[in-house]
Order: sequence, then C-alpha cells, then structure tokens
Amino acid sequence: MNPLIVDNVKKTYKIKVGAAAGTTVEAVRGVSFEVKPGEVFGLLGPNGAGKTSLISIMTTLEKPTDGDVRVFGESVLKNPGFTKRNIGVVAQEVVASGFFDLEEILTYHSGYYGIKNNQKRINELLNRLNLTPHKHKMMRQLSGGMKRRMMIAKAMVHSPKVLLLDEPTAGVDVELRNDLWKFIRELQSEGVSIVLTTHYLQEAEALCDRVGIINKGELKFCGQTKDIIKSLTQKRVEVTMNNGLEPVKFMVGQDQQLGDILKSHHIEMRDIVDIKTAEGSLEEAFIKVLQV
Amino acid sequence: MIEKFNLVPFFFLLRRECHRFMKVLVQTIITPLVSASLYLLIFGVSLGAQMQVSESRYLAFLIPGLMMMGLMNNAFQNSSSSIVSSKFTGDLEDLAVVPLSREHIIWAMSLAAVIRGGMVALITLAAGEAFYYIQYQEFVSIAHPLWLVYFMILGGLVFGQLGLIVAFWAKTFDQLSAIGAFLILPLTYLGGVFLSIENLHPFWQVVSKMNPLFYFINGLRYGVLGTADIPVGTSAALVLVAFGVLYAIAHKVLNRVSFSRW
Repeated sequence: MNPLIVDNVKKTYKIKVGAAAGTTVEAVRGVSFEVKPGEVFGLLGPNGAGKTSLISIMTTLEKPTDGDVRVFGESVLKNPGFTKRNIGVVAQEVVASGFFDLEEILTYHSGYYGIKNNQKRINELLNRLNLTPHKHKMMRQLSGGMKRRMMIAKAMVHSPKVLLLDEPTAGVDVELRNDLWKFIRELQSEGVSIVLTTHYLQEAEALCDRVGIINKGELKFCGQTKDIIKSLTQKRVEVTMNNGLEPVKFMVGQDQQLGDILKSHHIEMRDIVDIKTAEGSLEEAFIKVLQV
Repeated sequence: MIEKFNLVPFFFLLRRECHRFMKVLVQTIITPLVSASLYLLIFGVSLGAQMQVSESRYLAFLIPGLMMMGLMNNAFQNSSSSIVSSKFTGDLEDLAVVPLSREHIIWAMSLAAVIRGGMVALITLAAGEAFYYIQYQEFVSIAHPLWLVYFMILGGLVFGQLGLIVAFWAKTFDQLSAIGAFLILPLTYLGGVFLSIENLHPFWQVVSKMNPLFYFINGLRYGVLGTADIPVGTSAALVLVAFGVLYAIAHKVLNRVSFSRW
C-alpha cells in the first residue's frame, strides 16, 4: 500500500473580504496522485497553483470540498489523528516559538505525539542537523538556515514515515541547501516518503523521483522526473567546425539520431572539431507544461 | 477518539503552558503581587482602616475580592496571551498538526490558567495576611477552605476558557485588549471587589446581581470570610453553569476557527 494517496481532491473557497467578496475560488480541481514508499515526490507549480491548499488538506489543516487523502490507507477526514501521528510537516513559514530553546521545543513536540522520553531521538536530530551547539538557544537567536533545520528536526521528532516539506530551502544559502538535500536523501534511504514543494526546479530535478505539476488547481503532469524531461525537452547540441566560424547550435529531439541531424545540416564528420551536448532540464519541461 | 484518552499530549501541553508563564515570572506573578499590595495598602490599610463591611474589617473584606480579581485577570491573560502570541509566531499551526484533541487543548489551557490564577490568588492572600497581621496582630482565618478551592478552580477554568475563546476570535491585538479593558475590567470592579452590594441603592443591587463576575467574587469571599451578599449555593450553581456554557462555546470555537498565523 502506498503511504500517501491523494484521491480526486477538490477545494473551493469563498472569498470573504475585499472587492471579490462572495465569489468562489476553485483552488484545487480534482487532483489525484500517489506517493510510493521511500520516494521523493515533487509537487510543483507557480504561485497560487493550489500546492499549499493541497498540503493543508494532507496535514488536516483544511478539509477538502470533495475527494479524500489517505495516509497508509486511513482517510484524513475519518481518522485525522492517525494522519497526524504518521506524517511530519515542515511549514513554508518559519515558526518562531518565542519562549523555549530548541531542546525544549523538541521535548514538548515529542510529548504532543505521546512520546514521553525522546531524548535519544532529539539528540540524534540535533546532531544530524548540526544544531547541537545551539540547542539551548531560542529560535530568534538562530540564523535563517538554522531555523529551517530546526523546522525539519521538529517535523521528524516522532520519526514519521511520510514527510511533507513545503518549500524547505526558500531563502537559504547554497551550503545549507546542499546540507538539506543530503539530509533529505538520507531520510529517503531510510524509507521515508517525502512530498516536496519547491520553486527551485533544479532542486526538484536533483531530489525528486517523480513530480506532479499543478497549475490553476489542476494536475497537468504526473510521472517520473526523467520521463517528463525526456518527453518535453530536447538536447542542446553545439558543433564547432574547422572553418573558424561560430559554433553551430541546434536542438535534438529525444528520439532523433545526432547523425541524421548533422546530415540535415550538411555537416561532414571530418569538419567537426568539437561537439558539446546538454540534456534538457526540468525547468524547460515545467515551462512547456504550463504553456499547454 | 483515541487521542482523547491518550493523556500524554495533554500533560505536555499543560506542562508547556505552565513552563511558559514561569519563564516570565515578573510579568505573571511579581506584577500582580505588587498591584495587590498597593490596593491592600491604599484601600485596605489607609482609606479603609475605620470601615466595617458585613461584620468584617474592610481589610479582611478586601482580601478575597483582590484574590478573585487577580485570579480572573491572570487566568484570562494566561490562555489569551498564549494563543495570541502563538498566532503571531506560528506556533498555533503546530497545535493543529499534532495529535492533540480539541478537549486536550481546552483542558490544558484552562488548567494552566487555574494554576497561574491560583498562584496569584494565593500570593495575594499571603500579602493580605501580612498586611492584616501588621495592622491587627492577627491573621484572617479561612472559614470554608473547600468553597475557597471550589471557586478558585472554577474561576480559573471559566476565565481560562474565556481567554481562549476571545483569543481565537480576535483578529488583532486591539480586539483582544478591548475585551479586557472594556468588558472584564469594568465587570470586575463593579462585581464587588471593593464594596458590598448591601451598601448600594436597591437599583444598583439589582444591576450588580446581573454581573456574572459578582457570583465568583462573592463565592470566594464566602470561602474566606464565611459571609457573602448572596447564598453560597446560588454562587456555586451559577459559576458551574458558566463553566458548562463556556466549555461548550470553547469546543465549538475550536472546531470552527483557523489555527493559521496572523
């Protein structure tokens, strides 16, 4: 059984304030997908696409207007407690927690999951996320990157098998981003299923086994990351010839043979000095999906 | 349903709430102690030195009133400030995604309010006893300790729940402070903290009896002094009804409101 099944979820909101008050917005329009064990699934889409609404439904913060989400087979609507015990959530915005230090926050958070003595797990997480030297600091004393790491520690304190990461690397520096990628891969290797929303498509390409691209509340594409790149993008080829002119640049479809393309451009092999090729990217595929 | 019977999350939230107010002791305990001491000194020792109310010295009459005033204010502030600050920092969203039931949240917040309010009430009692001893070389004896405990617990629970309801309802700090300043504070002052309604015109006696806080203050006063403006049974029953009504409202509010940050 797949750890997370999103089944034809719809969400409509009624706007309560402002000029559009009273109008209904369809934030999510019948989205379905599944996340497999130990998989990193990227939920991608532009701002306002419906990603955060979906995450809110998966985490029981919102109820779907129609459809359901099942965590290890249990409905989030019928058994929200089961969902809460089995998922970890890293929210988009950092939680500041003004009164307690990191160790205290993690101790209380463990308690909310019914875990009385969780010091070993807390120490392990602080250590793995390089937060041990800061464990007696308040959240406000931490840098932005440390706060992000702390958010992940909090989400993992009860060792959930499903982790929802809502833009975990927004605004963090390259070094920290690489550390977080490493940690996400470690979690994946431990069998944790991860749903990742991100605006950094390079990140999704590097981390996600599969992606779902959502736009205006509809799931436009769902499948293997490498498949979407292969099906929607072309290789870039740059051929330098011995005639001293600028290199010739052209695109090659995934099913086309390079030899045929060279022939169609009347390029003889003996005239070629260098050939550079670059695969298409998820970003290109993403843009194509949104243009449809 | 399972969440309701697993008490570990409840105890951790209760512990966190108590830990939170213990971290800001000056604000939560010392400030109310200073305020109560000033009231005791100015109204009880100085202005009220020659006054007698319901067969008691005015200083003795004032002590239970100040105890209940401190208890109600601090119980209200404990739950309301905890929720409002959590709305501000985003902590409140955490409570929504962890397996804490609505009952856990209401009871943990309310009991923490009882503990903070109770501490303030007992410290006020201790300060009052000290002032009384200095003035009259004797202590005020507690007439009915069980009634005292009853009204302290119910008072803390009711005002803890009220703070929770108001804090979830409030969309701004202004709305929250308006409830405190324009509703709770006037009702507290007019509820018999400083005066007995027997000294009022019959019209104002009727008005006072329409003030729900009057029954809390009178009940606690009966617990300490053994005398009150109305029978203790009436106060006890009305306080219990207030608890039931506010619990039902708190439950409804928690099922409907958003736990999102401001």
